[in-house]
Amino acid sequence: MDFLRSRAIWGAVSLLCGMLAPHAADAETTAAAAADQAAQKIAGSVCSGCHGPTGISTSPLFPRLAGQQEAYLVAQLKAFKTKTRGEQDAHDYMWGMATLLEDPVIEGMARYYAAQKPAPGVPGNAKLIERGKVLFEKGDPARPVVACSSCHGGHAEGASIFPRLAGQHAAYIRRQLEAIQKRFRASPVMHGVIVDLNSQDMAAVAEYVQSL
Amino acid sequence: MQWRRVTYHRRLFSIAIVAALTLAAASAEAVPAYARQTGQNCVACHVSFPELTPYGRWFKLSGYTIGVRQNVPLAGMALAGVTSIKNNDDGTGTGTPVTARNKLPAFNQASVFLAGKASDNIGGFVQYTFAESYGTDGTSVGHSGIDNTDLRWVGRVGNETADVVKLLYGLTVHNNPTAQDVWNSTPAFGFPFTTSPTAITPTAGTQIDGALGQQVAGIGGYAFYDRTWYGELTAYRTADGLFSVLRHGQDTATPGGVARLKGYNPYLRAAYNKEWGASSVMVGAFGMRVNRYVDNTNTDSGTDRYTDRGIDAQYQYIANPHTFTAQARYIRERQDYRSSFAQGLTSNSTDSLDSSSVKATYYYEHQYGVTLSHFSSTGSSDALLYPSGAVTGSGNGSPDSRGYVLELDYLPVQYVRLLLQYTAYSKFNGGGSGYDGVTARSPHDNNNLFFSLWVAY
Repeated sequence: MDFLRSRAIWGAVSLLCGMLAPHAADAETTAAAAADQAAQKIAGSVCSGCHGPTGISTSPLFPRLAGQQEAYLVAQLKAFKTKTRGEQDAHDYMWGMATLLEDPVIEGMARYYAAQKPAPGVPGNAKLIERGKVLFEKGDPARPVVACSSCHGGHAEGASIFPRLAGQHAAYIRRQLEAIQKRFRASPVMHGVIVDLNSQDMAAVAEYVQSL
Repeated sequence: MQWRRVTYHRRLFSIAIVAALTLAAASAEAVPAYARQTGQNCVACHVSFPELTPYGRWFKLSGYTIGVRQNVPLAGMALAGVTSIKNNDDGTGTGTPVTARNKLPAFNQASVFLAGKASDNIGGFVQYTFAESYGTDGTSVGHSGIDNTDLRWVGRVGNETADVVKLLYGLTVHNNPTAQDVWNSTPAFGFPFTTSPTAITPTAGTQIDGALGQQVAGIGGYAFYDRTWYGELTAYRTADGLFSVLRHGQDTATPGGVARLKGYNPYLRAAYNKEWGASSVMVGAFGMRVNRYVDNTNTDSGTDRYTDRGIDAQYQYIANPHTFTAQARYIRERQDYRSSFAQGLTSNSTDSLDSSSVKATYYYEHQYGVTLSHFSSTGSSDALLYPSGAVTGSGNGSPDSRGYVLELDYLPVQYVRLLLQYTAYSKFNGGGSGYDGVTARSPHDNNNLFFSLWVAY
């Protein structure tokens, strides 16, 4: 009897799960869709004020977000929200903005910008680009400086937590490299890699990735 | 009575300061209301208060609605300074000073702002100011009343995918022509942003350049398309009846106390805006026609008609650490004294007054700034409008003045500004040496050095 009863209970539980599971999935989908919609609305009416329509900013004060890696965007927005990303610009512009976002909206925001078509590269100083390309693709074993492409991809397209750099404003890249080197931004991987990078190296790499 | 009034206002002011400081201390970041609402620093919206960045313009046109509504949307601001005028003797041989506060600390003003969003579509700010004005005999009169105010409702039209705002439009109710404008080339928030409370300034000014401030109600609609094209139509009327709060504190009972307009007076504004890289540029035009009663206490006194036409331009390069901005404007005012002339109050039935100003600013790391400005006004001579008189008069009845301003700014923190401003005149109220028609005073005698401390919290 006990055996029968337990089978009956398990049967009922399975049936219930079977009935509920699709609804739970539906609810998740609905919640994600609502977050996406909210994120899109905020992106259009607020973020675009600095980051430009669809995340293609004109001012090098503000990074381009179109086509950025989703995981990277989530991590950065959460770092602004928790105030663990601490360079001056983060404090001045983003700490407050990020506190307005609930986590599901942050995820929706990241999905939105990751799905946008990135801006094309911007041509720049040929000599700097040439030097930047060598550093980016091969690094400098003598110092040692690791090739940027080993994490950021051969075309600086980024991967997961490693940001897309292609087409990004050179001035923004330079400021971030300085901020990371001075440890205003926590980035354990980068701290080791760019410890020996000087300002000329930074300018060259920034000019190169901006051109991609 | 006067003394009691000042004391009363001082007490009110002290209470306001204590209240504001308490609020500031209660807040994690002691910065004004919009910064608390958005969580952003002042530099997000301002090159240096009140000059707006592209994002600051977007924030204002969005009806101040970005961010989270605050429970106590208050902020405060105070200004004090010391002015040294080159020649403080009025030249009449009586030993009367131009200002008794020469080289002595003088309190400019303190303001309380009620500022923020009410909803995602409604926001604004109301500034209430206590100011001190100084007489030549050393006495001062305190006065409090409403200052610049702008209340907005906004709407947005997105593109097909609704992720880009193509059209930002809205309604505004405000009390100073051009206080609603977002480019700092128009008069209300144009340079100089801070002026000495005791220095002598030229007499002539156009209607759109402050003559109607805190006396009128502007009800307008605007649209900003594709962050490129801006258009606005506003009607100005006397701030009485339902709108009387917009001129609260003004002297409406004395002839000449306030401006009183007949009916609704149109203001038109068009601007082309372009942003690229770290740069932005605006080229625009504006115009206003005003029918103003000769005597604000008597609607039978007839009206004069002023037609102001202006063109303006602005360029900004905002980056880190270098920021460079420049503004220019030219206003031509036609003054039709259809009633004043008939009553013998002006020498001519029509006059004109042209004013122009250009300024360029450089800031290093949003902290160290230098600004150079040139200003000029020229117009018809009218001995009854611009009569002679020691220091402030005109010997030849001409409104012509010309000069420049050099200003150094230092912001130790974003909400404190130390300012050193030198103003020099090459022409004053129509002339050079002996310009006032009474004494031998020259324009240079009005040159002044002004040191000021500005604090916002």
